[in-house]
Amino acid sequence: MISEGAQGRRGKGRHALTPLLVAALVAGLTPSPAAAQAPTSLVVQTGAEPPGLDLTATPASATAAVVFYNIQEALVKVDRHGRLVPWLAERWHTTDNRNYTFFLKRGVHFHNGRELKAADVKYVIERAMNPETKHPYPGYYAAIGDIIVKDDYTITFSLKSLNANFILNLARQGSVIYPREAVDTLKSDPVGTGPFKLAEWVRGDRIVLTRNPDYHVKGLPRLDRVVFRFIPDPNATLAALKAGDIDASLFGLGPEHVQEVQKDARFQVVVGDTTNDVILAMNNSRKPYADVRVRRAITHAINKQDVLQGAMFGLGRILGSNVDPLNPYYVDVSGLMPYDPARAKKLLAEAGYPNGFETVLKVAPQYYYTVRTGEIIANHLAKVGVKVRIEQIEWGQWIARVWREADYDLTIIGHAEAWDIENYAKPTYYFRYDSPEFQTLFKESEVTLDDKARRELYARMQKKLVEDAPVVWLYMHPRLVVAKKGVAGLWKDLPVPSADLAEVAWAK
Amino acid sequence: MRRVAAFAATLFFVSLLVFVVVRVLPGDPALLIMGTEGNPAATARLREAMGLNRPIAIQYAHWLWNALSGDLGVSIQYDVPVGGLIVSRLGVTIPLTLLAACLMSVTALPLGLYAATRHRRAGDYLAMVFSQIGIAVPSFWAGLLLIFLFSVRLGWVESGGFAGWSGGLWPGIRSLLLPAIALGLFQAAVLVRATRSAVLDVLREEYVRAARAKGVSEALVLGKHTLRNALIPIVTVAGIQLGQLMAGSIVLESVFALPGLGRLALGAITARDLPVVQGVILFVASSIVLINFAVDLAYLLLDPRIRYD
Repeated sequence: MISEGAQGRRGKGRHALTPLLVAALVAGLTPSPAAAQAPTSLVVQTGAEPPGLDLTATPASATAAVVFYNIQEALVKVDRHGRLVPWLAERWHTTDNRNYTFFLKRGVHFHNGRELKAADVKYVIERAMNPETKHPYPGYYAAIGDIIVKDDYTITFSLKSLNANFILNLARQGSVIYPREAVDTLKSDPVGTGPFKLAEWVRGDRIVLTRNPDYHVKGLPRLDRVVFRFIPDPNATLAALKAGDIDASLFGLGPEHVQEVQKDARFQVVVGDTTNDVILAMNNSRKPYADVRVRRAITHAINKQDVLQGAMFGLGRILGSNVDPLNPYYVDVSGLMPYDPARAKKLLAEAGYPNGFETVLKVAPQYYYTVRTGEIIANHLAKVGVKVRIEQIEWGQWIARVWREADYDLTIIGHAEAWDIENYAKPTYYFRYDSPEFQTLFKESEVTLDDKARRELYARMQKKLVEDAPVVWLYMHPRLVVAKKGVAGLWKDLPVPSADLAEVAWAK
Repeated sequence: MRRVAAFAATLFFVSLLVFVVVRVLPGDPALLIMGTEGNPAATARLREAMGLNRPIAIQYAHWLWNALSGDLGVSIQYDVPVGGLIVSRLGVTIPLTLLAACLMSVTALPLGLYAATRHRRAGDYLAMVFSQIGIAVPSFWAGLLLIFLFSVRLGWVESGGFAGWSGGLWPGIRSLLLPAIALGLFQAAVLVRATRSAVLDVLREEYVRAARAKGVSEALVLGKHTLRNALIPIVTVAGIQLGQLMAGSIVLESVFALPGLGRLALGAITARDLPVVQGVILFVASSIVLINFAVDLAYLLLDPRIRYD
């Protein structure tokens, strides 16, 4: 405990003059009122600077990391275990799954001092539904018909059609509630109800948040000040950690760095689950991947255990289908299409490629794991006769060429969105996977509200995907957090792309 | 007058080139903002709102007209005026470049001079080994080594980041010191070689031999007769290097997490933040043209025989 205090103070004292450093060390070693108090400020590293702070204008996870749950919140929250819990809405009820009435928590104030009222909720959701506002996910609100404000704390949404994801959609990052009068400054100065307020955004360097003293959850937040520092380079991040300039790295480090830090007694390493599924996508509209036998052959040819070991040092989890392990409907199907190169060769021969073929794998080095994974996979595929040429392209080009135009054979990318099985029901999505049977299953799941029946549908969808093998689900990218010992309350898993720091504190 | 016209024409062509190139690149800002989760309709609306579906010529004319009146547009990523954004980053990049240039000059000029006077002796070889190492070590790696030595091991300076000048002159300079060393190392190594060979050339001149024959002291021979005449090629190389230092800061600003112009440009290119890309390149191009102009003026001071009409 005492060493922790000394540690924290030495980190600060170093940048001051030497007499101060000595004084700080003495203060750290002798029990005094100052020593009993743990630091209440946390400096965290984040790799990418947010492209604006408006959650209703960008789906960027860099924006969500800073703003979502720290500055702005929604009616419903996804908690650290992935459960949907009432948040700005105290409770809700529905009798017919068409009309949902929400009862807002009373006494919730925005950072500008005004109380949150039902009219704000109506304004925010109607704005999201309006195509003119360029909200990135208008589809999430498409089922909503009328929004009726009953009184300041009661609001009813009536749906045009059944929507099993309605509550989930109100918990998404694009559904955060902000005051109407602050709508024009969302991008640079977001106002919300969260545990922290934006204090300063030094473009290119840092974002500083300060404690919201009127936060609606008693006792939170536990920190007075949070600094997000943008450090793009993982080696620089590691150096900053070791030099004591940052207290935690939430997203920036890869598995190879984690191993190094694990040996260092000053740090704790948190390895958790995420919703980030790393896949090898195949262009289903192109030869030879239009043939399901070829797609299955590719799946059988890849030793996923080897990939996970080589690319991620064994951290993460092997996947068999699209649904991630944090999803309540996750079924472990990773054994259904096992590593079997002999079978892969046979399938290729059946499909008319006894000697294999040549193909191009496009990867974007902006995501380090795509390149490493690609190199290992190229090696596996070579063993069954498929010669892979790896092409590295810049991220902007990846988005334009691969993702939008589906101009590719093979590509590797992590899909970080939760509940994204819908991508396989969209024939125009870049996999170009077009299965009417799967689309029907998905549509049914969207209007099935009974949990047991819906779970059954999700299990069937996952099995159907394994059979059709539109892509190869490789592994779940692990959550890798490194923090100084004494930082407590960090989320272990990451069911939503947030860096919720409300409950984080320095252990006393 | 002719120089001013050439200056304007250079900038015009640079701006036109940049404008066209960044638009020909696949990937546009709307697509990048929406990422893999956006739907095509939302992306199309955003593109329209950003004015990206107008013909390039019209977009360019619009941009040029505003730029001439001092308005470089608004950053897509940050939602603040580009001009202000560039100015805010200069507080890092200009001091960093100048500091690196100072370190480069104070080490390279004496060392080059020393090597030339010890031609083909131990001192010369030692200086050349230093220069060879400086050229061989990539600056980002030198930066990482410096971080591990001075901030992780010794704890003398912070590992990166920049607190701004509000905390005083010394804390500001201190956080730029390591990146400036890493940045200046390569250029210093190049300048040592340039200085050495320029001085060697002059030392072979007849007037140097004449001065020595007259019994002029060695210090005066080197300081007055040699260095001054050798400075013309040295200044030419140093002028080019100043431009390279600015470009080299892109890499080091990433390693040291400094909010400078280089990282602004890099981030803007990745995000296809076109107004910022154009603004930064226009600024850097103007600076380089101005540096060259300054180099030309320096010739006048160094050699009275040179005249510009």
